Amino acid sequence: MAANAEVTAGVAGAETYIQHGTHIDTIESVDMVFRAQRKLSFTYGAIFFGVTLAIPALSVVWEGWYATPIWGGFTANYLFVSLLYYIFLWTMAWTYSKKADRLDEDLMHMAEEIESKFKREHAAELTEED
Amino acid sequence: MNAIAIVLVIGLVLFTVGLSIFSRRFTRTTADFYLAGRKVGSFSNASAISGDYLSAASFLGVAAAVYASGLDGVWYAAGFAGGFMVVVLFIASALRRFGEYTVADFAFGRFGSDRIRLVTVLGVLLTSMFYMAPQMYGAGTTWSILVGRGFLGMSAYNTGVVVVAAVMMFYVAMGGMKGTTLNQIFQFWWLNFAAILLVVFIFGGGFSYPDALEAASSDTLVNSKTVTVADLVADDGAMLAKAEGAMSAEGFAEVEAAVVAGVETAKVNVVLPQVNKLHELRDLVFVEPGHRYNVLDQFSMVLALVLGTAGLPHILNRYYTNPSGSAARRSTFWVLVLIGMFYIMAPIIGLAGRELIANAVADGSAPTAAAYVDGLLVTASQIMPMMGQIIGGQWLLGIVSAGAFAAMFSTIGGLLIACSSAVGHDVYEKYINPNATEKQRVFFAKSAVIVFALIALGIGLGIPASGLNTAYPAIIAMMVTWAFAFGAGAFVPMLLTGIWWKGTTEKGAIAGMIVGGGGSLFIILLNILKTLGVLTAGGVLGFLGDLTYPTVFTFPAALLTIIIISKMDGQLPKNVDHIWMRIHGTAHERYEREHGLDKVGGMFGGVPGGAKK
Repeated sequence: MAANAEVTAGVAGAETYIQHGTHIDTIESVDMVFRAQRKLSFTYGAIFFGVTLAIPALSVVWEGWYATPIWGGFTANYLFVSLLYYIFLWTMAWTYSKKADRLDEDLMHMAEEIESKFKREHAAELTEED
Repeated sequence: MNAIAIVLVIGLVLFTVGLSIFSRRFTRTTADFYLAGRKVGSFSNASAISGDYLSAASFLGVAAAVYASGLDGVWYAAGFAGGFMVVVLFIASALRRFGEYTVADFAFGRFGSDRIRLVTVLGVLLTSMFYMAPQMYGAGTTWSILVGRGFLGMSAYNTGVVVVAAVMMFYVAMGGMKGTTLNQIFQFWWLNFAAILLVVFIFGGGFSYPDALEAASSDTLVNSKTVTVADLVADDGAMLAKAEGAMSAEGFAEVEAAVVAGVETAKVNVVLPQVNKLHELRDLVFVEPGHRYNVLDQFSMVLALVLGTAGLPHILNRYYTNPSGSAARRSTFWVLVLIGMFYIMAPIIGLAGRELIANAVADGSAPTAAAYVDGLLVTASQIMPMMGQIIGGQWLLGIVSAGAFAAMFSTIGGLLIACSSAVGHDVYEKYINPNATEKQRVFFAKSAVIVFALIALGIGLGIPASGLNTAYPAIIAMMVTWAFAFGAGAFVPMLLTGIWWKGTTEKGAIAGMIVGGGGSLFIILLNILKTLGVLTAGGVLGFLGDLTYPTVFTFPAALLTIIIISKMDGQLPKNVDHIWMRIHGTAHERYEREHGLDKVGGMFGGVPGGAKK
């Protein structure tokens, strides 16, 4: 069994493609993957940065956040930074990984469909190049 | 001499060296040396990344920062952990999919020029050296506490630095990435074990987290400082008056005696009340923000910490060792769980130290290896081993000291591999000797490890002479954060735009790296000069010199530079579509899945199903 696929890049018709073994990526399939991944990553990114930067913002403006004890000596600020922030990170990382895995599965199937269509449309050119 | 503790540390060193010798037989190719054959499973990789990441800054520095600064110190822990979200969301799978050895490879592959590869190599070396410095300082200070004496005419500090550099030189050159990975896994679990033991002992002694916080915050935060008699009597004795207000009568009597003696250059340890930089009209207490950071720095620090992780070459290198993009994400989740556990514990140790160390000093049981003033450690970075000895005697001191050395070894190992791959793989194999045999390449990589270990040694020996260790509270965590800030300015904008914006050009990326990296270096230097009292200027230089972290300016500046220059330049690589397909395409992963290559194999064998690589 080959450990690494022979990688070829080329142009069939007007379309650029890249081939790993028998599997093909086209610009159409890659753009689809890219857009879906960008949406997922940037949505989670916005939540992550929103929450993370809200902590110092609240530390600047809201005394109830940084100076009012809510449990023994804990303020909401101290409790969040020392304990709750990790639960937030774990939840974010877990749900993102699961969603990204599911997205990968869906996108691979869609990419395979685009690949089949591409192979059908450019069968002659691909055979010539092989 | 702490005989039991020393035996435990020697045991750790011998085990480490043994693992490297064991791994040696499996390091035949450069892929083995740099990437452990790309067969590291998610949990193993997560443990190794955690070991790589949890350096002296985390093990010694976070508890010290909390001990000295309260909430502002806790941010080191939260920020160090948060950085992995940026990695998992924006970088990890794309980097693995691109499938190269190093960050410089990514830059070359994405933008297609030798120029950007060399600029990236320079950045990698600078970041690694920034990161290496506090590890070596940690080595010297831990040795001073543990052994308390030097050998061959060297001071205890210098001996510690030399010993750690020598051990690292040997074990990384011997074991390469496989040996380093195995060691990092073992070292992570050892240092975590040490932290867990400390916390168990602390809670076992009746510690209550909310009550301890309440007690620590009941009065203005005070800290120790080493000053000269001249400093104390300057401005009509303003500092002396503050010290008198903050210190016990007994403690202040020693300070007064030094002032009466009149030797202006004599150094005295005093305790001073700390001021609130964030809310200037409020008293500063342990639980509130403001000890270290003003408004701008509160944001800049958070940005430096969460963005900087994605700019650390020795961490990014580890992502290439994952067998698939999905495995890279799983690794990151486990990293967050593992380091999160540690980062929840470190602030507890820092807080508990406020009370337990003061009690030990009061009842005369505090270890004599450290200096104290009025119940406070003079050097906050000594808190972990000191806590070990106070609450668990020599055994716990030994376990904690071994944990500290484990933290240094694992990180220095990763850094040496990153430096070695930067000059070995990115320069030697590409430009100096492209036709080198596999044997020559591995030999060069190992030689590079030795050279960089020697440079680290020089940096470690030079830190006390520079005065940096007395100028900053918790200097270990501070120095590491400079590496984060540099990485966040130099690499992260290039990586983010390179992965997510097809229109990024080579000129834009280089300009961004220069603005982000150069700007970070410049502002960090100004801050150092200002802290050491060399820079006294006001105006723009003075304003920038007051910034502890430059990221709030350098990151957006680098990002904007990349966008503007790329738009003006417009010269995309000719094969940009193919590059784009390498970063975001799925054909490679479909191929790997079809052939079972996305499965984890043993680092020391073939892939499952009997297939041999």
